[in-house]
Amino acid sequence: MLKYLNSRRNTAAFISVLAASTALVAQDSAAVSGEKPSLFYTDTTFVIVLLLCLLFMVIAYFLYRVKSHLDKIIDENTEGGRELTRYERVIKPWLRTLNPTVASLLIGTIFGLTAFVQAYKFGITEVGVQKGYSPTQPIAFSHKIHAGKLQMDCKYCHSTSDKSKQASIPSANTCMNCHKYTTLRDRYNGQVSPEISKIYKAIGWDPESNSYIPNYKQKPIEWVRIHNLPDLAYFNHSQHVVAGKVECQTCHGPIQEMDKVYQFSSLQMNWCINCHKEKGIDLANNKYYEDLHKRLKIEGKSVYTVADNGGLECGKCHY
Amino acid sequence: MELNNQYWKGIEEAEGQPEFVQTKGNEFHEALPLEDVLNATDLDLSSNRRDFLKFFGFSVSAVALAACQKVPVKYAIPYVVKPQGVTPGNANYYASTCLGCNTGCGVLVKTREGRPIKMDGNPLSPISKGALCATGQASILSLYDINRLANPLIDGKEEQDWTKLDTDIISKLGSIVSANGGIRIVTKTSNSPSFDKAVVAFKAKYPTAEVVTYDPISYSGILLANEQSFGKKVLPSYNFDKAEIIVSFGADFLGTWISPVEFTKQWVTNRNPKGGKMSKHYQFESTLSLTGTNADVRVPMRESKEGIYLISLYNELAKLAGTSQLPVKQNAELAGNAIKNSAKELFAAKGKSLVVSKSNNTNNQILVNGINIMLGNYGTTIDLNNYSNQSKFVEADFEKFVSELSSGSVKGVIFVGANPVYSYYNSAKLADGLKKAKLVVSTADQKDETSDLAGYVCPDNHYLESWGDAEPKAGVYSFTQPTISPVFNTRQAIESILLWAGTPAAAANAYEYIKSNWAADATIWNQSIHDGVYIKPSTIASVPSFASNLNEIATTLVANAPKGDEAELIVYQKVGVRDGAMANNPWLHEVPDPISKVCYDNYVSVSKTEADKKGLKQDDVINISVGGYSIKNVPVLIQPGQASGTYAIALGYGRTQSGKVGKDLGKNAYPFLKIANGTTSYNISGAVTIESTGDTYNLAQTQTHHTIEGRDYIREASLDEYNKNPYVRNEGKLDLVSLWEEYDYSNGHKWGMAIDLNACTGCGACVVSCHIENNVPVVGREEIRLRREMHWIRIDRYYSFYTPNEYLTKEDDINKENTDVYDNIRVVHAPVMCQHCSHAPCETVCPVLATTHSSEGLNQMTYNRCIGTKYCGNNCPYKVRRFNWFRYNDNDKFDYHFNNDLGKMVINPDVTVRTRGVMEKCSFCIQRIQAGKLSAKRENRKVQDGEVKTACMSACPSNAIVFGDMNDPNSEISKLYKNERSYHMLEEVGIKPSVSYMTKIRNVESNHKSTEHHS
Repeated sequence: MLKYLNSRRNTAAFISVLAASTALVAQDSAAVSGEKPSLFYTDTTFVIVLLLCLLFMVIAYFLYRVKSHLDKIIDENTEGGRELTRYERVIKPWLRTLNPTVASLLIGTIFGLTAFVQAYKFGITEVGVQKGYSPTQPIAFSHKIHAGKLQMDCKYCHSTSDKSKQASIPSANTCMNCHKYTTLRDRYNGQVSPEISKIYKAIGWDPESNSYIPNYKQKPIEWVRIHNLPDLAYFNHSQHVVAGKVECQTCHGPIQEMDKVYQFSSLQMNWCINCHKEKGIDLANNKYYEDLHKRLKIEGKSVYTVADNGGLECGKCHY
Repeated sequence: MELNNQYWKGIEEAEGQPEFVQTKGNEFHEALPLEDVLNATDLDLSSNRRDFLKFFGFSVSAVALAACQKVPVKYAIPYVVKPQGVTPGNANYYASTCLGCNTGCGVLVKTREGRPIKMDGNPLSPISKGALCATGQASILSLYDINRLANPLIDGKEEQDWTKLDTDIISKLGSIVSANGGIRIVTKTSNSPSFDKAVVAFKAKYPTAEVVTYDPISYSGILLANEQSFGKKVLPSYNFDKAEIIVSFGADFLGTWISPVEFTKQWVTNRNPKGGKMSKHYQFESTLSLTGTNADVRVPMRESKEGIYLISLYNELAKLAGTSQLPVKQNAELAGNAIKNSAKELFAAKGKSLVVSKSNNTNNQILVNGINIMLGNYGTTIDLNNYSNQSKFVEADFEKFVSELSSGSVKGVIFVGANPVYSYYNSAKLADGLKKAKLVVSTADQKDETSDLAGYVCPDNHYLESWGDAEPKAGVYSFTQPTISPVFNTRQAIESILLWAGTPAAAANAYEYIKSNWAADATIWNQSIHDGVYIKPSTIASVPSFASNLNEIATTLVANAPKGDEAELIVYQKVGVRDGAMANNPWLHEVPDPISKVCYDNYVSVSKTEADKKGLKQDDVINISVGGYSIKNVPVLIQPGQASGTYAIALGYGRTQSGKVGKDLGKNAYPFLKIANGTTSYNISGAVTIESTGDTYNLAQTQTHHTIEGRDYIREASLDEYNKNPYVRNEGKLDLVSLWEEYDYSNGHKWGMAIDLNACTGCGACVVSCHIENNVPVVGREEIRLRREMHWIRIDRYYSFYTPNEYLTKEDDINKENTDVYDNIRVVHAPVMCQHCSHAPCETVCPVLATTHSSEGLNQMTYNRCIGTKYCGNNCPYKVRRFNWFRYNDNDKFDYHFNNDLGKMVINPDVTVRTRGVMEKCSFCIQRIQAGKLSAKRENRKVQDGEVKTACMSACPSNAIVFGDMNDPNSEISKLYKNERSYHMLEEVGIKPSVSYMTKIRNVESNHKSTEHHS
């Protein structure tokens, strides 16, 4: 095993340099955006990993040298040489029979193809895809408590999800409808829950006197946006919630079980398209489709998917 | 001559100039720089290859590294307290009033999350009737103009604190009054009851104060004529909709004259030939105006001789009526007996006709009044009882002010919305006078020529940040309400006036003050702010008694008429730029002039005959001087249709103090103006001296861009031909066999558009509207010269030769050696946007499927797929695809407000901002289609006809554009498709466009023998 390491050393060194530069770039972008959602992506992680890599390689190199020395000694001390390994007996002579050009080309092609496929897979599934993204929010708001335990309707807070493009994050005054009264003092030794008091701080509510502070300079709560569609894609919540009758959970996952929200779906185009291919339109219950419904009934077609309705056309989302 | 029909876009095309013929087939202006590359001195290929590999390696690794970047963290920041009525992601509409000019069009302002992004006309407004002109559309960008003053100025230095200014100004006003010095508030025509009331309060505090009205454009000829004739110093209301015969002496009522949107709406009601009747419109003018291009009969006329032609018209009418004629030796006549013919028809349509004149000469206007009285038009097509307040400027008042300023009796001047130092003809005298004043205040919201001389600049809000009321016409009240908080530290002028008048701050607040003026009836206020307008029942129009001695006037007119044929200079307003107040608005410069198709500059236009006589060529740079003022280094434009012997130059250019766009753009023609008999004269006869500099200047002119190689785009016929055969020029629908499989559009909608060439006036409102709606970038003069304008909709302007009494003159009949033929021309305007062909040629050539067909008949453009091969643009027969050569929104070389954060606030969030290297084109406003369908689905109903309007359709003042679903048999578009006049451009190519055009019908007799038409 160690034998290969030598030949791969250059590759390893190259990879580590690449990793280091990637890390630096990553740090840059993290520094610019001023946010560290993942513990792994701290400033020093990559430097440590890099140093460890170098250390391990030095150790490996020394171990390899020791082993080859020992092999030599064994060779010299054993009559008729030491017992050859399987590699030395079978593979090495066979390799020598090969045309070096053809062999290296073949190996190169195999490696190249594998690398390309891997890179492609990486590019298509990882770059810019934030599935599982679960940043720390300014307030540790739990959907599990509100949507799950308390059974609040999603639309109570995300009140424009059936009216507009945006589902919209509720403004602080919506929170205050309940949190004027719900302070959880019983759990915090008579103090207002530190998370709830963040709402008060934003909107200017004095929980002691139960009143708004006059002339308070309000500060909005800066939530970290989890679901990021690129600007070139137009998505409308009300289209899906009202016209499409899609449950929130279809895209957002078991939100009622999430203490900390994470991105459930990949939000990639193939994810959109797959759903559009499968999801049928409820023609019967929307007068918009009246004529079409009548016609399809005559034609005897029962399933009419979004795709049938032109839902895969570029212009439906990109304009 | 390769033209196979009678239409041409410019003289270069009509004459077949070699340079034009050579380059017209090119897709791009410049040849590809292949030669340069191949002839490069560095032919060391090995080193080139190495360089290539280096760059290649660098870019690959750069891309690889860039791809590894993490997605930046984005934030979603909700309101702390969400305002009621705001739904993030949905637009709110507020009724307001456009103050882009004095007309007072009611508008609906579309706002998204608190920022206005688009304006359309308010259908309830009797002036705009749901449409808005190019200038009004564009005025929204002036709100987001980075060159606006961020703070008030004291002696040119920024001052954050308004109280300091107020204290200074109040104390200075006080000391001026105590020294008995005069104070003048110089304001543009004010028709705001609240402003007038505020001024009364101001006058009460400062008894020496007076108001002086100043407008850059004067209609005082009409005002004074009406005072003399009828004892009413007002502009009348004109009813072009009630007129069957319209005779206009130079009045560009569809483009720039008094209230163009209102007049266009009226004019177009009688322009539909369905039913065999339409109004007949004569236009006699010197320059080719927008109105002239739309007239049935247009005859070039020397403006200086208008008076004698008016006398002829009067006498012809008097002859018919059997009343006494005016004393002249001989009646003058225009080409083709136009005066006699129009008189006959006017007389036949007594009470249903209208004669208007552009002239600002009081005598001319009195004569026009006399003609209209004789025709019985008062009370029907002209209404003096429900008069207009759109202009109240009379020169005498301002002249008095200037002399008082010079003599030193006026010590304090407050300019409110007026910039006379730029637009007053004798601005040096005014500027000198201002130096003698103790206090000069300006409320300009940008640095301009007047505010530059003001000690105190108290920037006014943009009207979209303001409260206001206006009475543009008697009994019609139009309200302004803010649609955004003030962007900068500015204050409404009315508040400033009130505060200086000593009104307590709480009562001086614009909202409180204006509301209190309407306090008598709270229901009126609330409803009016909602509607944007409040209309009192109108007074019944009546016939006024006419008291002018026409004989005397005729004698004066004859005496003053030019004897010889000396040249004259005409100073006119351009559609769009108008008086130049919005010179810093790039949208207005980017939209080509409807006639000359020139962007970004003004020029001296001359007729071909005159140019040949003087040895002038297009783009020659000349010095021109008349009456002691001269403009140096101004380019020449040869304008077909212009009366020979006339030169014309547009106002509104040559601003010396303006923002980055407007400063030093073109030449200032205001100093040419003269005051004659108390009114400003816009035609300056006298020795016009032309001096060639030998230089040339390349005007950014789009007239032959995207040329059509003389193909059959336009169909046109006369009314009598149409009455005989409604399918005239449109017979024999092609029955083409298609190689392509037909699309199935039956599942939902099939969108289509119909454009009535008979209604389209070419005003350009649609172009600007589309610009705003679809985030089309401004590219600037240099790029336009390279044929790289980005407009998704363009208006093709075609000329055709015309000899009076002949309809459709065949090109063969024209002897082009005789340059006179270029003075008599006809014009057709044709808006062209993506035709959304069913068998679109662009779709089949795209190698990456970036442009595809939708099941609703749309030709979709997917920017994120496009790799910029430009094959589609090359294959488009209508030349409507535009390539993004640069990233205009982030490139400081395109400094047109789109590159800064403030200017970007006007971006429509529902439309992608395109990046460099992709093609774009008209999408049929797909964002509006999708929104319309969605609200129907949400509300469990079908899409109503007329619910989805494209931006061009909603702006159009002449209802020329109709958009809708062709699958709905009852929709307007389905009906229009079945109309006899409906045809498709390039039908014969078999690409099945979704845009239908309707034959232009002119109300003229065709006495030619069935001209063979190409189609």
